[in-house]
Amino acid sequence: MADATARALDPRWAWQPYRPGKEVPWDIRRVGHLYRRAAFGASYAELEAGLKAGPEALIDQLLKGGPGLAAFDAEMAPLAQNIARYNDAAHLRAWWLARMLHSPHPLQEKITLFWHNHFATSYAKVQSARFMLGQYELLRRHALGAFSELLRAMSSDPAMLIWLDGRDNKKGSPNENYARELMELFSLGIGHYTEKDIREAARAFTGWEIQGTKVVFNAKQHDDGVKTVLGQTGQWDADDIVRICLEQESAAPFLVSKLYRFLISETVTPTPELLTPLAQQFRKSGYDFGALVRTMLSSNLFFSPLVYRTRIKSPVDFSLNIVRGLEGKIGTTALAQALEQLGQNLFSPPSVKGWDGGKSWLNGQTLLFRQNLALALTSTEDARFGRRCDPAALAHKYHKETDTEQVDFFLRLFLQGDVSAEARARLLDYQKHAHQLPAPVYWTEQDIADHRVRSLCYLVLTLPEFQLD
Amino acid sequence: MTANRRDFLKSSLGGVGLIGWSFGAPIFLSRTAAAVPAADKAGAKDTILVVIELTGGNDGLNTVIPFKDPEYVKLRPTLRQLPTQIKKINDQLGLHPSLTGLAELLQDNALCLVQGVGYPNPNQSHFRSMDIWQSASLAENVSEGWLGRALKGLPGAPSFHLKSNNESSPLALDGAPARVPSIKTLEDFQLQLAAASGADKKEQRDIIESVARSNGNSGLLDFVQRTASNTYASSRRLQEIGKNYQPKAPYPNTPLASRLKLAAQLIDAGLGARLFYVAHGNFDTHATQAPTHANLLTQLSEAVTAFFKDVAARGHRDRVLVMTFSEFGRRAKENGSRGTDHGSAAPMFLIGGKVKPGLVGKHPSLTQLEFGNLKHHTDFRQVYAAILDKWLGVSSKEVLGAEFKHAEIFKS
Repeated sequence: MADATARALDPRWAWQPYRPGKEVPWDIRRVGHLYRRAAFGASYAELEAGLKAGPEALIDQLLKGGPGLAAFDAEMAPLAQNIARYNDAAHLRAWWLARMLHSPHPLQEKITLFWHNHFATSYAKVQSARFMLGQYELLRRHALGAFSELLRAMSSDPAMLIWLDGRDNKKGSPNENYARELMELFSLGIGHYTEKDIREAARAFTGWEIQGTKVVFNAKQHDDGVKTVLGQTGQWDADDIVRICLEQESAAPFLVSKLYRFLISETVTPTPELLTPLAQQFRKSGYDFGALVRTMLSSNLFFSPLVYRTRIKSPVDFSLNIVRGLEGKIGTTALAQALEQLGQNLFSPPSVKGWDGGKSWLNGQTLLFRQNLALALTSTEDARFGRRCDPAALAHKYHKETDTEQVDFFLRLFLQGDVSAEARARLLDYQKHAHQLPAPVYWTEQDIADHRVRSLCYLVLTLPEFQLD
Repeated sequence: MTANRRDFLKSSLGGVGLIGWSFGAPIFLSRTAAAVPAADKAGAKDTILVVIELTGGNDGLNTVIPFKDPEYVKLRPTLRQLPTQIKKINDQLGLHPSLTGLAELLQDNALCLVQGVGYPNPNQSHFRSMDIWQSASLAENVSEGWLGRALKGLPGAPSFHLKSNNESSPLALDGAPARVPSIKTLEDFQLQLAAASGADKKEQRDIIESVARSNGNSGLLDFVQRTASNTYASSRRLQEIGKNYQPKAPYPNTPLASRLKLAAQLIDAGLGARLFYVAHGNFDTHATQAPTHANLLTQLSEAVTAFFKDVAARGHRDRVLVMTFSEFGRRAKENGSRGTDHGSAAPMFLIGGKVKPGLVGKHPSLTQLEFGNLKHHTDFRQVYAAILDKWLGVSSKEVLGAEFKHAEIFKS
């Protein structure tokens, strides 16, 4: 570990592509790690296939997405149209969860979630499912593309115009909300601009209006005067301000460190030197976010023990890891509701800063709600999810019939076997002992056996390690 | 694990002891071990705030009543309360006749009444004014609540919105590091198990609890284990408590009382909960106000009194502070429908063992009105500031975005 720490601080080593070796073998733990960070977890078959495929092929596949994306999008589109048409906020979040669960390109959804947290726009104020969907589409379209284009497009996104009051930003009476957050939260970070920069930049964003379901540019309300922003003077408009922001030294490191926390670690704080090569690459590439994601996911640091399990799973990750692992076919409306109780209400981040994440996800209530959700998903007795996520059916599918096989199966599926020997012994003990525990007289042998498997799976999901990403 | 709960606590403490008490030490375990529930000074680490929202605009003038003021009779020809029935605070002012319980709490030195509370340029829209009170901001657009922001300074402190049916989480709690859950019953706070039998249930529970025990790990795993140990112990206690919770004071059978009883149970379970939010109403009494208002005040008074007596008898008298607020008071002069329209300044109640008992500030003048409304002299953020700094121990300047002179609501 000491070695890993020392080497991790060496940026050259950190960002070079990971090559399996004796100390860092391509094992099931690394496959699980990659699937957690770059997707929403994996099925047993996916884990085993990934192990065979090797890191390069698996990373490639995750970055490109599997086949059938266009067909999947076409299947999801009519649902979205209805959600927009009827301002159906409840199904809005369910719709996205269904995409996360079933998209052939989960990394795209995962990075879209990153952007949703970055631009942190909430239905609570926007009050339009159509506009929230529109912003989601924008985020997804550019998720792995050029950040510069995404940021440019965001200036006239209707949901954002409502969220940060851009529509009230008019010539002669500017509203600074968007200009401020653009610099503070979206591109530069606090301390890299002045109040005067914000005031001047706000003038450049004037003129966007919402008419019906469309955004139009009203030249009469646009302040086309000369502005000085971050040292540059001219008749700047919105695109100019975005360009000027992205010309700042602080932009690339700001985005890189945010993505680092999302993909690599919440607890291993990077030194500025560690991130410098990535920031340089990011800027030089014209803010190619896909390339940045690839570099991080392929790196030595990403696969090093130093950053393994150094994030707390978000509620979305926690629940989807379970459903994907169990190859569940659940309806996502109830799941979306449950996630709200766990602290992550999609399309309604708590503030303009998004979810704080990390340790703030877990406290005395949310942990309990997580366990109870895991039970609801796996017990087959919950009215919301029924038996559409049944661990017993899954164990049968993979022909895991003996006690030991079943214990090791679920430990491998959800934790890649990486738990203490004591925990495994306790589970084995339960599995053996549970044969002798009393059960209702009307249960068949099969009922009893299936119940034991479901309980076992639930117990695996309550292991503290499962909270870690 | 087959040991009883006492051993469980001991062994957990052993584990925790190894790695020290810093950084999110399990509040429940530490409190239970030390067995000293009472905070000995305001701002101590385990103080509790219960906020009661009086939804709809409570008629302040008929809550704390200037019964000697001849203007009162003129302004309220049909709605005035009779001096013989009013619960006297002094020779000028008294409480609405329905507030029997609160009058007792005043005798008990546990009630503080802040008069004339409001904010500049009062808004008379329910929604706008409620947003202002809940966000503690006069800004046009708000997305965070004052309690949500306060929770950023109280990391890991469980908090609850105790909801009635279909009530959504209040803006006041938005902006917390993790969304504050809305719960309705104790069932919501139990570790559920799907077991074949009681023995199976016990077995499963033992496993879940034993794997959660910290065994000297470091970093996030240790954090999860400690959070989990704390949670399971609390949940277990709640189950025991919920089964045979015997209130130390009788709660009336009203929605507000049952939610405050839930708060008492959660407090007594030692979860380390710091904040509770509950709404009561509707106080929007535009017509035939008298019976409705009396009924709502009765429910408020009975529920709060039962709650406070209950928790006080359990040793939490000095840890608990109840605060009431409403988005506005009502018009000084009653309208033609024996009701009152939207107004502005109104009194706030603060209940607890550490409050400065009695009246704070003067009753607003009944002759110097502002558009027919009582004028405020105390900004509600002065009350918030005192609570934040002195009670919760969170910087009011950070939460409120500016410094406010503390309202004098605590014993000095």
